[in-house]
Amino acid sequence: MGGQVSKMMGKIFGTKEMRILMLGLDAAGKTTILYKLKLSNQDVTTIPTVGFNVESVTYKNVKFNVWDVGGQDKIRPLWRHYYSGTQGLIFVVDSSDTARMEEARSELHKIINDREMKDALLLVFANKQDIGGHLSPEEVTQQLQLTKLKDKLWYVAPSVATDGTGIFEGLAWLSNNVKTQPQK
Amino acid sequence: MASTLPYRPSNDSLSTSNPKTNGLPRLSPAPSFIGRSPSGSHSHTSFRRTSAENTVGYKPRRCKSQYPLDSPERHVEYILVASFHIDRGPIMEHQYPGPISGDESMLAELMLPDQTHVRSQDWTIFFLHKDTSGDDDDDSESGKKKKKRKSKYRGNEEGADIQHENVDEASEGESSEEDDEEGGEGPPLMYVLNLVNTKQDNTVRRGAVVKAMAICTRHSFLHIYKPLLLLALEDYFKSPYPETLASLYDAVNNMDLSLMPKLSILERHILQSSNTKEMFIEKFEQMIRQREEEETENGECPPSPKKMSRYVLPRDTHEFESKVVYHDIPIPVKIPTVIWPETVGDFSLIKLIQTFAGPHASSPQAFPNHPHLTTSGPFTHPIIVLVNAILTQKRVVFLGHNRPSGEVAEAVLAACALASGGILRGFTRHAFPYTDLTKIDDLLKVPGFIAGVTNPTFANHPEWWDILCDLPTGRMKISSHVEPAPVTEGLLFFQQQNALLPNHTSNANSDPTGDNIFIEDILRSISNRHGENAIRAKWRAYITKFVRVAAAFEEAVYGASNLYIIGPGEELSPDSPTGQQTDASDPASLRGHGYVWSDEIAKQRELSASVSRIEGWRNTRSYYSYIQDIAAMYFPARPIQRPDLFHHHDRLRSLKLSHAESAAIYLALSHAVKDYAGICQLLTVAPENQAGLFYLSMGLFHPDQVVREATVELLDRIAAHPAGRHFWTHLSRFAKLAYFRVKRDRDAAQSPISGVGSPTGSNAGASFGGEPQSLVGVALGESRSRKS
Repeated sequence: MGGQVSKMMGKIFGTKEMRILMLGLDAAGKTTILYKLKLSNQDVTTIPTVGFNVESVTYKNVKFNVWDVGGQDKIRPLWRHYYSGTQGLIFVVDSSDTARMEEARSELHKIINDREMKDALLLVFANKQDIGGHLSPEEVTQQLQLTKLKDKLWYVAPSVATDGTGIFEGLAWLSNNVKTQPQK
Repeated sequence: MASTLPYRPSNDSLSTSNPKTNGLPRLSPAPSFIGRSPSGSHSHTSFRRTSAENTVGYKPRRCKSQYPLDSPERHVEYILVASFHIDRGPIMEHQYPGPISGDESMLAELMLPDQTHVRSQDWTIFFLHKDTSGDDDDDSESGKKKKKRKSKYRGNEEGADIQHENVDEASEGESSEEDDEEGGEGPPLMYVLNLVNTKQDNTVRRGAVVKAMAICTRHSFLHIYKPLLLLALEDYFKSPYPETLASLYDAVNNMDLSLMPKLSILERHILQSSNTKEMFIEKFEQMIRQREEEETENGECPPSPKKMSRYVLPRDTHEFESKVVYHDIPIPVKIPTVIWPETVGDFSLIKLIQTFAGPHASSPQAFPNHPHLTTSGPFTHPIIVLVNAILTQKRVVFLGHNRPSGEVAEAVLAACALASGGILRGFTRHAFPYTDLTKIDDLLKVPGFIAGVTNPTFANHPEWWDILCDLPTGRMKISSHVEPAPVTEGLLFFQQQNALLPNHTSNANSDPTGDNIFIEDILRSISNRHGENAIRAKWRAYITKFVRVAAAFEEAVYGASNLYIIGPGEELSPDSPTGQQTDASDPASLRGHGYVWSDEIAKQRELSASVSRIEGWRNTRSYYSYIQDIAAMYFPARPIQRPDLFHHHDRLRSLKLSHAESAAIYLALSHAVKDYAGICQLLTVAPENQAGLFYLSMGLFHPDQVVREATVELLDRIAAHPAGRHFWTHLSRFAKLAYFRVKRDRDAAQSPISGVGSPTGSNAGASFGGEPQSLVGVALGESRSRKS
């Protein structure tokens, strides 16, 4: 009953709902981004994610259900279980971790080549732009070979998750590009 | 007897073809038994043997211990420690006394539940399918290869086990009372209780340390180890070395439970359904007496000078109190005396029922129709849907997003107990109290499971489950992917049979299964604070009834039932009219068996309401296990095979009988129920919470004097029985007065020459009937009856 009312309100006021999956190598900053989105004005300290985190964040009339899944290589095979119904993928890279950029590229391409992810928007956060020796968003684009992608809407946003720089800009891109309301 | 039963095909064949049917790590056999060195100086084994030979007449049968001191089985077999490595994910840090073998990383993942980083402490429970015996493989063998081989081996072994057991039962005859262990469905499970702590620590990289410690035991009362794990894990954070594991291991294995008596299945049944705190206290007394005699005979001086104070009787015989000394701190533990199959840990049925009953009561949601599940229409109570789902072997998932994993584990264990009622089994063996995405592929290979998860992504995968039980909202969902109920022969045949009868499903009775009334009764009991034990007893009765109704259904449709072994001289329903004697000279040859309905219409109505779920149950693991169990339990659980005590007691309870009919029952009971085990059996069909001896005592008011006196004899025997005396105490004053009146009349009618000896000359009656003042006689008689 209550759910129906809020659905109707959603129709009237045009609230969209969007299922977002946030992935990336371990220690890229996924959880920090999630909680920075959720608790915009607070400092966030995180510890390694055992399993996953999920939060909903409402921004510009869009309710984002953001799933943040742990990134240690051993648990990466589990990512695929989160694909179905996902409308947007946020892939977080540590721009200063140049040594693992190739690993990040390979993981990212694995994800977006999955059949269940073919319609999902791709937002890449080139995170940790505050750390010396970081790659620029353009370099990240190149290293991740995003230009090779066909039929894919993607965007690379520079960010510093710890102080919140850039992350709402990324979210705005997602909310502007999400087409349809998910069928419930 | 056993040979007439269908051989159980169930999952054995599956597990042979599919190495991972259970989805659980199938581990290699234990490194071999290290017999527990007798912690004291003397050997109990040798003494025990001699004493068994010497037991002649004077003493009652020797009381055995549930956990004898000389048992090679340890309370706890392994202690494990795992941690979350920030680069590598979950890893195993230490294992004591040796590596448990099998898939280490899978164990480590289970020990570090999802989202453990958001709470400082969490408990989980999971099960391992690990063999106790078998050939000793070298432990270094690689996991997968071994798993495959092992499970194949296990498949064959199981077949052998089953045969063994039946042979044992048959050959042992009178002593089989002791050998009523669970029938073989492979080795007992290894239960794992696990504690995880997350400590924020700024001195380490990424700011936190996550560690978990687990205890692996074959005892299902693993919750008693909780305080110990708390202490030991704290110690491990301070000193992360194997020695910390070793000291915990030694402490728990030195726990002494040897004074806990072993009870027969009937005694366990009586104790469990009784609230009397002194039930079977005699057995505990005897254990202590035996121990003291042993000590004297061995010339041992007890360390404490005051002999009597060394061993104390339990305050409540339902629990045995002992202690574990860890680092010189004695930690008291209470171990349940009776453990039903499928009862693991300290869950609460009340909590589970309330979780789902609350939202249903305030705003019921309609379920999509499924004949196995929604047995009372779209608004079937969710708890009934859950039980139906488990009985018909559906895939059940409990989801507790943002809840500690211990909470989902508890719900899973409670659900197993709910559907088992302590009668059916095979649920915990296919339960995954806590699992996560890493095991999903294995989980999906298990046909019918009960799993607990905290990851809400399970809700997005309806192809993974048939029923999803969401703990935070208290809502249940039937999957859109659930397999439709197959149309079975039994169903068609039943419908043909009943096509001639008027259609009663649509008539005024809106609760043909009786489930609505049952749930109302349960909820009333909960709100009246009758307690967990009362609720469990009610569920036990519910499952008992389900099985008996299923037996009646099978007899009606298939002409015979696998679920009931008919007594000697008895024939199947249509040919064996209830209430007649096969042998006119033997009142005990009273015919009739099975569940009792007030009339044929009521029977048909109930059967047709339950036909789908019964048919759904008839191909499941729990169905085949039950058939195996009743064969194995035939002698221990039914010392009196004729008449069917349950059936005739039910007739007294639920039917309006003529005087002649009830007379036949009272006489039959009085003739049949004489020895210790027989009285136990009678008490199990007349539990305290279902009026106890009330219906039996009504025989005291029968117009026929012979019946009245036969009832007095029966009650005399019951009152002198160690368990029966408590039932006698609970009998109403009204009935007791009638008892004394009948007795007085009889004594008066007898010649004044001898007040001794009972008029009917029944041998057992003679020993009690002779007491001039029976009130005293009854109280004292108890010590004598135990000789028999």
